[in-house]
Amino acid sequence: MIRAYRALLVLYPRAFRRAYGDDMAATVARDLETVRRRGRTDVLSFWAFVIGDLLKSAGRLRSRQVSAALRRRTGGDVPRLPHREERTQMETFVQDVRFGFRQFIRRPGFTAIAVISLALAIGGNTVIYGMVDGFVLRPFDYPDPDRLVTIGVTFPKLSSETTYVEILSPAEYADIRTNRSFLRTAAFDLGNRNLSGGDVPERVFTALLLDDPFPVLGMRPVLGRGFTEEELAQNGPPVAIISHRLWQTRFGGNPDILNRSIRVGGTSGSIVGVMPPGLLLIGTDLWVPWGGDPKSLPRNIRQFTMLARLRPEATLQQANAELATTAKSIEQASVAAFKEYDGWRLSATPWAAALTREVRPAALLLIGAVFFVLLIACVNVANLQLARSTTRQRELAVRLALGAARSRLARQLLTESCLLAIAGTAGGLAIAYIGLQFAGAVIPAQFQMLGLHAGLNSRVLIWSLVLTGLSALLVGVLPAFQATRTDPHDSLKADGRAGTSRTGRLRQGLVVVEIALSVVLLLGAGLFIRSFMKIQQVPLGYDSKAVLTMRLTLPREGYATSQAITAFFRQLVERTRQVPGVTAAAVASQYPPLSSFSGQVDVEGAPAAGTTLPTAATTIVSRGFFETLRVPVMAGRGFDDRDRAGGQRTVVVNHAFVERFLRGRDPVGARVRIGPRDRQGPWSEIVGVVGDARNQGATADVRPEIFSPMEAGLGSWNQLFLLVRANRPASSLLPDIRRAVTSIDPQQPVYAILTLDEALAASTFQQRIAAILLVLFAGVALVLAAIGIYGVMSYSVNARRQELGVRLAIGASRVAVMWLVIKDVLLLSAIGLAAGIAMLLAAGRGLGQLLFGVQPSDPGTIAIVALVLGAVALVAGWVPASRASGVDPIQALRYE
Amino acid sequence: MPRSPANPPPKPLSAPVLHILLVLADGPKHGYAIKQEVESRSEGSIRLGPGTLYEAIQRLQDEGAIEEASAANPENGQEAQRRYYRLTDRGWRVLRAEVRRLGSLVARARANPRLKKELA
Repeated sequence: MIRAYRALLVLYPRAFRRAYGDDMAATVARDLETVRRRGRTDVLSFWAFVIGDLLKSAGRLRSRQVSAALRRRTGGDVPRLPHREERTQMETFVQDVRFGFRQFIRRPGFTAIAVISLALAIGGNTVIYGMVDGFVLRPFDYPDPDRLVTIGVTFPKLSSETTYVEILSPAEYADIRTNRSFLRTAAFDLGNRNLSGGDVPERVFTALLLDDPFPVLGMRPVLGRGFTEEELAQNGPPVAIISHRLWQTRFGGNPDILNRSIRVGGTSGSIVGVMPPGLLLIGTDLWVPWGGDPKSLPRNIRQFTMLARLRPEATLQQANAELATTAKSIEQASVAAFKEYDGWRLSATPWAAALTREVRPAALLLIGAVFFVLLIACVNVANLQLARSTTRQRELAVRLALGAARSRLARQLLTESCLLAIAGTAGGLAIAYIGLQFAGAVIPAQFQMLGLHAGLNSRVLIWSLVLTGLSALLVGVLPAFQATRTDPHDSLKADGRAGTSRTGRLRQGLVVVEIALSVVLLLGAGLFIRSFMKIQQVPLGYDSKAVLTMRLTLPREGYATSQAITAFFRQLVERTRQVPGVTAAAVASQYPPLSSFSGQVDVEGAPAAGTTLPTAATTIVSRGFFETLRVPVMAGRGFDDRDRAGGQRTVVVNHAFVERFLRGRDPVGARVRIGPRDRQGPWSEIVGVVGDARNQGATADVRPEIFSPMEAGLGSWNQLFLLVRANRPASSLLPDIRRAVTSIDPQQPVYAILTLDEALAASTFQQRIAAILLVLFAGVALVLAAIGIYGVMSYSVNARRQELGVRLAIGASRVAVMWLVIKDVLLLSAIGLAAGIAMLLAAGRGLGQLLFGVQPSDPGTIAIVALVLGAVALVAGWVPASRASGVDPIQALRYE
Repeated sequence: MPRSPANPPPKPLSAPVLHILLVLADGPKHGYAIKQEVESRSEGSIRLGPGTLYEAIQRLQDEGAIEEASAANPENGQEAQRRYYRLTDRGWRVLRAEVRRLGSLVARARANPRLKKELA
């Protein structure tokens, strides 16, 4: 440790170090003896103190040294050339800038490559950061978003997952909202409501509110007012607040909108406020008080999402501690009636983080990857600069010989790299501006509907400024450092022809760094492509081609009974089947790839479950569902006319259900109940088993699923999806289907129209975007690395002209000379490859989570990357190599 | 750039510098002894890191307030190698001026009736 301290003394000016260094080290050594006796923490705090002291005093001494030097320089005690004027800092700076510009104009090729590669890199970084900022980090523009939290619920008895949306019952919300850490709270139930009264019925994404969410968000209406206590109370007067978007699209931005009456799903209410533009509450457009009686709903009907703003003095930890207590007391009071409360957990998470938690890892990965591109670009430009500073050696040497300070030259070079970085940033911002316009296009429609957007905001601009500073430093420091070590004597004597071997090695080192970084990106891209291909190859268990899906919601008022609802949907399926080109049609409450609605189930005769309660996805489907999705019936039968209201209760289960709950038994004829085990509901008989359709996305295991026949009319599901398989394109099919719908009910809209393939693509869009962008980044990286290799090898061939000439003169073959160069290229590539693989493997664990079916150490990918890299390196090295073999020995020797 | 006036009033000494001068007023000492003495006299309220200590020593030497002294009665070989520092005449002047300045500060403070009552 003492030795390390001695090494750190380098930070002091040399004179000080010489005079006192030994005494200082001795002092530390003596103190250390005493401190050691007191224990390890004391030793640690001692070192912290000593090193802090060292840094502070060294900083003071160094700055005093610098200011003394400055004073000396302006003091006039140095012999000067005649007529040399004193310049202020500012004049020097302006002079540097002008000189820099002249340098750039004189070498347009170099300048263009440097500025373009920096612009691409900074632009790429800004686009990615802008997207991540807009979609992931700060999707909402609420004041103080970090203090806005949502409540996550985990029921270990049901699943290890924590969920955040539609997870609380009104009774649970009432228990939680009184927590002292929360300044204000609100909860909302998401749903679609028919908005009628115009020419076209419209579906509006609506939130039913418990308490006013807008003060929680920190937003005020732009027009009108928020909700009053009375309006939010049970059975309060019917009122609504609408979004800016709805105000503009539906009401034409009419300023007299307030107190106008609208019909929402059959009841009328008056509009009391319009919110400002922007995304509020997961993209909802209409906000209505819930107005129900919390006690009328059982505790386990959970459909509310909660928001809370922390008190200024409260921390997230405090809130979580309080929530733990709340959860415990609810558990004690209600676990007897609701088994899932056993060990349940409540947690507070910042709202944005909770909503974007699934895309966060991929987003951060992309930020990291695009940052690598910037590093490569900077290294590349630094490399070009170094090559240039070698040819500029003469200029620098002359200036040094004439009495220029070395610091002055370094400053000149740093100014030039700053100019490059600034030009690069200007180009980068232009690229980012255009790029972000298109950023929305890669985001699936479902996310666009939420109103998310990415743009050049102040955070993004600050980020790109930071990048500019960083790249100026990265680009400029090495050449500047190198330049200050120029020896005017040697440089002038050597006629500015050959650079020092030190510069050559430095440049080779930079190329290795470039290659290593590119290899990381190449490997990443390769892994993501393979992972994406694996996802595509996963047998889905259903046929996603040529299926169109859309959603319909029947207003409760027009369809009060389950008979009315069932009748509508039966008719809908019938009429859709008659549309020309339609080969199969059905309705369902959910469909793969994402059947997220699930519940507890009870299987007759199954052993009592161990630690978790049995759950399964529960789906209501009409006849023809399995045929429409081409899910095979493996045993028993699918649904037919035997499954009807008043008949025997029947269900169909998937293979995973049998594997989980009916292993070793004949599933057909077994009986199950939907709902908790202790609720004595009627049993339903399993009449068929169908194949496993991936119902939790393409990459997740199939969850047990239980299908109930819609025709039996047992659940009054007024919101179902229509699935249509047809042998003609969706665009021409849709009008006919709309006609079929309106022929039954002219006021009934369809919405959320998308093909099954689109739904599937949306469920894997993260992997797809990551793969596409990584391939793009890797391509750019490879080009930059190739430029780097080419530059370094050309330079070294130039520097070795004579040597190569001699070799040729004494009989070396041209091939042998070429091999000399190619060997170097391959060596640099091999070192870079090894370093890159090591870097990727070091990051492997985090990466592995994002990959599907492929390990970061996948030998196939590594082999392909090695081949690609080798090929590119050979191409980049070929030109210098053939130039080397083309050296004319006579000329090369005569040159001397 | 505006230059500072020719004879600026003496600036207050920094705490480490004042303490080092006070310790050396009792006789020549080597660096580590100065450090220990300062820390024990201030009852640990002042902690002199090696950097701060020797920075102050260098400064005082540059200003001619202290100088190296030949070791006073070396006890053993190791001690003999140490460099001892002692106050110069200029150092005494600086210390006196500073103590006077502090004295008048304290006197002025004591003139305040409320402070006086509490200090009495």
